[in-house]
Amino acid sequence: MFERFTDRARVVVHRAIEEARVEGRRPVGTEHLLLALLADGDALAGRVLADAGAVNADLRARIARHTRSGVSGLGEADAAALREIGIDLTAIVARIEESFGPDALREAAPAPRRRWGLRRHDGGRFSPRAKKVLELSLREALRLRHRHIGTEHILLGLLREGSGLGALVLTEAGLHLDDLRRRVETAVRAAA
Amino acid sequence: MSQATELAAAAGSTDPRVGLRAVLALRRLLERLEVVQVDNARRQGWSWQEIADALEVSRQAVHKKHAGRPAVPGNREA
Repeated sequence: MFERFTDRARVVVHRAIEEARVEGRRPVGTEHLLLALLADGDALAGRVLADAGAVNADLRARIARHTRSGVSGLGEADAAALREIGIDLTAIVARIEESFGPDALREAAPAPRRRWGLRRHDGGRFSPRAKKVLELSLREALRLRHRHIGTEHILLGLLREGSGLGALVLTEAGLHLDDLRRRVETAVRAAA
Repeated sequence: MSQATELAAAAGSTDPRVGLRAVLALRRLLERLEVVQVDNARRQGWSWQEIADALEVSRQAVHKKHAGRPAVPGNREA
């Protein structure tokens, strides 16, 4: 489905895949697409986001707050459950970090269980929402009668999908999705 | 609430939800500890067979589970 993507839009998709890979979270989510859009400040989507007041570092931190699971890589609920049976997770983390360096336990993410029939290295798979965003970017392009899919269409897709982590952190940061959509459409018309 | 039930609530709850949740958390912790320790063993040049013996599982099992990860940087000569 990527034939109509502009070079810049392709870079965004690749960057999103890279963001997901670095994080060690397997599927590419809407938050990775957002970070990738923000990274290209010269592209239309990046410009609109910056003009609307989106700050790359702030959004990245917000995303981390939603996805991060502490120094142990386990969540607070896990720590509480372990306390319940007399295991002090912080003590274990301290010992492991003493021997293997900071974040050793957090970075030791076990591979997700593989199901039969799935390729082993399927880096670049997309979450259902991220997939939806890309489908919607195509639909937005069609709606605007554009023959290509650019970063602006990906952003429109992300805004239209509206319920992924990417859209959530934008809202949290005080941006309004409808307002952003209008800004993109205005910028598209200006560029035409 | 009697002292006994208070103790049960505090230490080993008889509520399956509490107990099973602890098992789940323990499994998550175990999986991470295994990754840390297997990587450490590989860095120190241990063979899959040696690691398997230490974990009391088959060599195939340990290889299948851990060989897919990118090689860990270490002082092992490649």
